[in-house]
Amino acid sequence: MKRFVALKVNGEEYDIDIEPNRLLLHALREDVGLTGTKEGCSIGVCGACSVIVDGKLVSSCLTLALACQGKEITTIEGLAKDGRLHPLQQAFLEYGGFQCGVCTPGQIMAAKALLDANPNPTEEEVKEWMSGNLCRCTGYYKILEAVMAAAHNKISSDFQVKHERKTAKIQSLNVYKDS
Amino acid sequence: MAKTETFSVVGQRVNRVEGYDKVTGGAKYVADIVLPGMLVGRILRSPYPHAKIVKIDTRKAEKLRGVKAVVTAEDTIKQGWGAFFPDQYPLSVGKVRYVGEEVAAVAAIDQDIAEEALGMIDIEWEELPAVFDPEQAMKEGAPLIHEGKERNIAMTLDVERGNIERAFAESELIVEDTFESTPQWHCAIETIGSVAECSPSGKYTIYMNTQTLFMARYRIAAALGVRETDVRIIQSAVGGGFGGKSCDDNNAIVCALLARKSCKPVNIINTREEEFLAGSRPRVNMNIWAKMGFKKDGRIRAKQLRIIADNGAYSGKAPAIAGVAALRHDTCYKYSDVKTQAYLVYTNKIPTGAFRGFGNPSAEWAVEQIMDKAAHNLGIDPLDLARMNAADPGYVSPHGNRVTSCELRQCIDLVEKMMDWKGKRAQKKPNRGLGLACTVHVSGKRHFGDYDGGSATIKVNEDGKALILSGEGEVGQGAATAMCQIAAEELGLPLEDVEISRADTDMTTFCLGAFGSRVTYVGGNAVKDAASKVKQQLLDTAAEMLEARQEDLAAANGKIFVRGSETRSVTVAQLARARLFRRGGAPIVASGSFDADSVLQDATRYGNESGAYNFGCQAAEVEVDPETGQVKVLKYVAASDCGTVINPIGAEGQAEGSVAQGLGYALIEGLKMEDGRPVNPNFSDYRIPSMRDMPPLEHAFADSYEPTGPFGAKGLGELGMDPTAAVISNAIFDAAGIRIKTLPITPEKVLKALKAVSNQEPTRKVKLKADG
Repeated sequence: MKRFVALKVNGEEYDIDIEPNRLLLHALREDVGLTGTKEGCSIGVCGACSVIVDGKLVSSCLTLALACQGKEITTIEGLAKDGRLHPLQQAFLEYGGFQCGVCTPGQIMAAKALLDANPNPTEEEVKEWMSGNLCRCTGYYKILEAVMAAAHNKISSDFQVKHERKTAKIQSLNVYKDS
Repeated sequence: MAKTETFSVVGQRVNRVEGYDKVTGGAKYVADIVLPGMLVGRILRSPYPHAKIVKIDTRKAEKLRGVKAVVTAEDTIKQGWGAFFPDQYPLSVGKVRYVGEEVAAVAAIDQDIAEEALGMIDIEWEELPAVFDPEQAMKEGAPLIHEGKERNIAMTLDVERGNIERAFAESELIVEDTFESTPQWHCAIETIGSVAECSPSGKYTIYMNTQTLFMARYRIAAALGVRETDVRIIQSAVGGGFGGKSCDDNNAIVCALLARKSCKPVNIINTREEEFLAGSRPRVNMNIWAKMGFKKDGRIRAKQLRIIADNGAYSGKAPAIAGVAALRHDTCYKYSDVKTQAYLVYTNKIPTGAFRGFGNPSAEWAVEQIMDKAAHNLGIDPLDLARMNAADPGYVSPHGNRVTSCELRQCIDLVEKMMDWKGKRAQKKPNRGLGLACTVHVSGKRHFGDYDGGSATIKVNEDGKALILSGEGEVGQGAATAMCQIAAEELGLPLEDVEISRADTDMTTFCLGAFGSRVTYVGGNAVKDAASKVKQQLLDTAAEMLEARQEDLAAANGKIFVRGSETRSVTVAQLARARLFRRGGAPIVASGSFDADSVLQDATRYGNESGAYNFGCQAAEVEVDPETGQVKVLKYVAASDCGTVINPIGAEGQAEGSVAQGLGYALIEGLKMEDGRPVNPNFSDYRIPSMRDMPPLEHAFADSYEPTGPFGAKGLGELGMDPTAAVISNAIFDAAGIRIKTLPITPEKVLKALKAVSNQEPTRKVKLKADG
């Protein structure tokens, strides 16, 4: 029997109609429509589905959506604010902390949960914490570097992403009048 | 040798062109694609390793509410398909040959209904005797897996160059041994998946996470019995490939069959268990007997290999992989007399196939341990033995591979320095040891017909931005960024002004795709060729507009200017519009192509596999715990010769990631099977390295320039994992005097070997560490 569930995701309320056994992962991806959270192993081992619920890192493939009513859920889509990337996202980009990118949302959410609780972790603490997030591409070196860089604010202050919205100039078709 | 050439975009540490989408969760992978009315497809798989299908009854499943299509072999043309041998079917015809094989499939309005329907398909089976071990399968009287394949042998290879008998007779040291590798899975964090639709007119559109679009189109069209252009394949973002997404499996074909029958879009996304059972085709497991002859001074005189390769139930790319294992390493060192025999043998297990290294890691696991044994027997430092035998520019292997650029010696020097090899060897500590191994790989491989090429198109849009249309595909390896850098460099554009399309068989020209470390070299050369033609068009128009001679013009920063008076300039945007918006105007667009100067192997396997060869050397320092058998990698160093490095961030990532996979292969990975049934098909029982498993790593690129590569670049992606397992085993021997010959090197095996040594040679007993 389906029922209405109210989920608060990235600060917005969603009313979704789901079976009581619906996993948070599938509710986010299919009912809320936020596909940034990924399914990797379906048994809570790989960390690709990591999201933050009330400040705690959880595997959304092991969490019932129903159990998250009234809680604050943060997904990868909730990190960039006002067109600016979260420092962790920027660090992953600048330090090459991803390749195929499919584990990346989970890696960034895990790192965020760590830095929220422990803003100045040692390298060993990062390694231990992040070992719940598998990556098959990078060998983890650049992920570690990115997390440490974000923790120590070693990211560019003037970082510009080419995807940032710009006002397009209407260009004349007559090239000789173009400045 | 490095060439002094200054670049503005090539060689810069640039961010991934698709990076913003990936760090924000915006990149669309195949599981993220939803089409209106899309159904969920699920596959019924064989529970038996070898069985006849007497009868299939799908009537009950078809009647279940919500089921829109059920397909079996009756919905197919029942013709075999495959990369080299057409021995597999989209859905089993008459019998199944491994656990997990696709027998039937259902499309339904949701997953629960689709899975319920699978359970309602009635199949009458007749179990057949099965065989799982290739050596058993080769014996007379073993169960026959494919009609007409006597003794289950899919392929044999038997090559002798020079005179092997005389060469061994002239050798002063002969070393031989047998080694066994491990069945390793790709374990890309994203599983294989497809979204297919079939238009009423019969055209299929398939969104796939494949790494080889055009080869996928070719095979899917053949399996469906339609023309190639009746199938359009669009690449989604790809969540890791490593060879496993080169379309040797049936996911997309079954998805297309369901889409055709239901007249609706259908997706099939493999579960993790399905991925282990019948998804990405795992590494071809090999048993390798190797024998090598040396002169007293260390020079290699003779080499002989006998390989028994486990093909699994169907062939895929295994025939080419067995060939690489048999022949490739003869390009790494200077060989004269070699003999190699390989048998590729069918068994009732998951078909094997392409995985980063493509036969090379298994072969190097054996050969590089023989090298190490020889070094110890001869009393020569393994590093010096490698250096003495290393290939040089101009070397031609006994099988015809022609080496152009080669910095293997420089790689060995770099490893020596990074590891402090001589210093550590001079002060050997108990239970600690050093090991190394060298490797060679290709930059593309000529084996699909007599073609090892690529193509690309570049158009310059009216806003001055260039768009590359390439069918090679981005699988996470960074190809898109490297290609944009190559085009930007050639066109004198800032990187922000170059974009790349997604690969799409209807929109991009033919490309073989991402395998064989070929995309930067072959695809990059094609992009460079297209860019140089586009640049010519820009110069033609600029000469007109600036009233200057073409030879006086140069391109930089998005402008064409007159050398010496740089204020006389015109922007690329102005040029694009000026050329287009006029009577008889035309867009700026050009296609480029490249076909490597390689030679297809003849019937005796003589040829020249690739246009360029990449080399590397790696070393490890390990500590063996004599009480637990645990092997701890204290430090890992790797040096790679990949020519010019186009994007250091991407290239380092390739090197680091492949070493990680190599360490997994060496120490922890492998699918276990009982009677053909996988017992650990999930991420908690099949472990891959995690962050805390990674040792301190130092990596360096050799100063190198490949004259035939784009701006001097050649391949890199596979190099890093080829020698890793041998490196670890050699270091363990140095540490504890034990030689592990089967992968993975588990603590149990180490302990057993330590016990055997201490029973045999009490004088060489390994001392317990003082600090425990």
